[in-house]
Amino acid sequence: MILEVKALTKRYGRRKILKELDLTLNGGEIACLLGPNGAGKTTLLRALAGLASIQSGEVSLDGEIIDFKDQTLRRRIGLIMHQPFLYENLTGLENLRFYAELYQTNQTGEALKTALERVGLNPSQEDPVRAYSRGMKQRLTVARALLHDPDILLMDEPYTGLDQQGCKLLNQILLEEKTAGRLILITTHELDYTRQIADRFITLHLGRIADEFENHELSLDRIQARYQAITAPREIAAQEPK
Amino acid sequence: MLRILSVLAGVLITVAFAMVLFYAPIELNMGLVQKVFYFHMAAAWVGMLAFLMAVIFAIQFLRIRDLKWDYLEASSVEIGLVFTLVANFSGMIWAKAAWNTWWTWDPRLTTTTIMAFTYIAYLLLWRGVDDPQKRAQFGAIYAIIGFATVPLTFFSARLLRTIHPILIGAGMDMNLTPEMLHTMIVSVIAFTVLYSALVIFRADIMTRQEAHKDAHLIEEDY
Amino acid sequence: MKNWFKTVRTLVWKDLVQEWRSRDMLTAMLAFAVLALFIFNYAMELTPANRAEVASGTLWVVILFAGTLGLNRSFTAEQDQGCFDGLVMAVPDLSAIYVAKAITNFLMMVFLTVLVIPLYSVLYNQSMFILSFFTVLLLGSWGYTAAGTLISGMTVQTRMRDLLLPILLFPLLMPVNMAVVKAAGGILAGLPASEISVWIRLLVVYDVIVSVVGVMVFEYVIQE
Repeated sequence: MILEVKALTKRYGRRKILKELDLTLNGGEIACLLGPNGAGKTTLLRALAGLASIQSGEVSLDGEIIDFKDQTLRRRIGLIMHQPFLYENLTGLENLRFYAELYQTNQTGEALKTALERVGLNPSQEDPVRAYSRGMKQRLTVARALLHDPDILLMDEPYTGLDQQGCKLLNQILLEEKTAGRLILITTHELDYTRQIADRFITLHLGRIADEFENHELSLDRIQARYQAITAPREIAAQEPK
Repeated sequence: MLRILSVLAGVLITVAFAMVLFYAPIELNMGLVQKVFYFHMAAAWVGMLAFLMAVIFAIQFLRIRDLKWDYLEASSVEIGLVFTLVANFSGMIWAKAAWNTWWTWDPRLTTTTIMAFTYIAYLLLWRGVDDPQKRAQFGAIYAIIGFATVPLTFFSARLLRTIHPILIGAGMDMNLTPEMLHTMIVSVIAFTVLYSALVIFRADIMTRQEAHKDAHLIEEDY
Repeated sequence: MKNWFKTVRTLVWKDLVQEWRSRDMLTAMLAFAVLALFIFNYAMELTPANRAEVASGTLWVVILFAGTLGLNRSFTAEQDQGCFDGLVMAVPDLSAIYVAKAITNFLMMVFLTVLVIPLYSVLYNQSMFILSFFTVLLLGSWGYTAAGTLISGMTVQTRMRDLLLPILLFPLLMPVNMAVVKAAGGILAGLPASEISVWIRLLVVYDVIVSVVGVMVFEYVIQE
């Protein structure tokens, strides 16, 4: 599975957020998108998911140019954004059942409970999502995103709200999905955890891909140094080097 | 294009004015006040035309996704609002003179008032959304559904009551002499040309305003 | 096609469960309707002559305003929890979202009407337990929710939110208002069917037009 992005341009009003962006993503690979706040990471993910229209450029999957508004394609995508996409008055299980029905996955109650267990949530949990902690919501969000067995995973800062155990669990899940051949793109500021699983780092800066490098067990310092070399000194997202 | 239209508009309005004042006869029953009628008719016509154009622009925008159609649409609504208000107020002046009442629940008056409310609602919606793309989409949606309900509003108002002089259709309440007819036609054409000029002008200003707003953002360094 | 119905059913179920667990909308609408009822009763003098028309008029006005409370809330879950995106990713035909939400809102209004009619009948000493009367209210409510769901889908995404809904919605509802009050009032006053049927036909036409427009344009409410 190869996803190719060519000369992608996305404007907000008259302002260009993504400027003639080129990118190639492969199945069975975890790509990690870095970039300062406002660089356009979320916008890129939204464009790839078909939630935002693009002004020019093309995206092709396995050689075929696609219209990401195509619903059959959208249903192959598992998406995590800043907001959880959860219904507060429903329980975790009910939320999953709801999405399972929408995606017509025909999953049994048992399968849904297994999905909950996979993210470390208690399947007998009767509380509505309103009562969940931030971390629990995030785990449920991960379960929701993977529910319909998507080929493509797009995740915007998926580690948000997760405790250490949760982060490790997420890493484990992502590696499992990678082995299954999924195409995975995540954005993050959590370099500590992503460097353990990422195959590639991609830096987005000023609307373009500014840097790409393979991750062969690079140390945190090396990654950060390379990242800071690309991005302007004024940006605020990078952590303090030790 | 704009220059030609503006000049043409200026000329036609002057001609219309002259015709209203000098060419058209003074009406028997109502006297001088009746001359309000010409601009009232023309303004009401333009008010409705503006709505129709707004919907056409809206559909164009949804098809082509170029923001320029959105600017034309919003301008048409703005200008249309002005003309509709002119029509309403001139209508009220007429009503006071003809029937000694400021307001009547007459279908045409009711409908144009509702249209004015719809225009105002549109503008509030348009200004209440920050994202230009979303703003354009919402505007288009509202214009379309607004337009869909206006004929129904007219029919229901007509079912309720009628004391507006019926010019089009059965029963001519007011007989127009040829001079009056000419004056009316010229007024309508003059106002239509004026409307076109104003819409293009306003859309142009809007385009520049939007460009200016984003100018300092376009090449911002992080 | 079958999938579309299944999707609508899933969405309606979700909305009903959400509402039932919190009962926010229903409580607010009901409380408002009852209070307004009392206020109107003091505000207006009823004579046997005008009672029929005034009763149906005030009933509809109260339903109208109580309905905006419900409409304002209908998309807040989607907006605040980002669920619009989740739905857009999952649902093949976005019109299903519109129809499902309209159905939910409509059911809320029916529920409200059913609870309020007995109360009104007692207070206005006017039996409103007439099937045709109820049908007129249903037709009006559908037109109301069809337009209102479309509009609230937009206003929930604006800065002004709740404040904007009545401004945008009410001009569109003029035909419904006139038709409901005239038809319902006519039924209570015992007017002949020929005088009432024209209003009912108008209602049906309105309902159809607005529903069709809503189904066609709703995708632009939640998608770029």
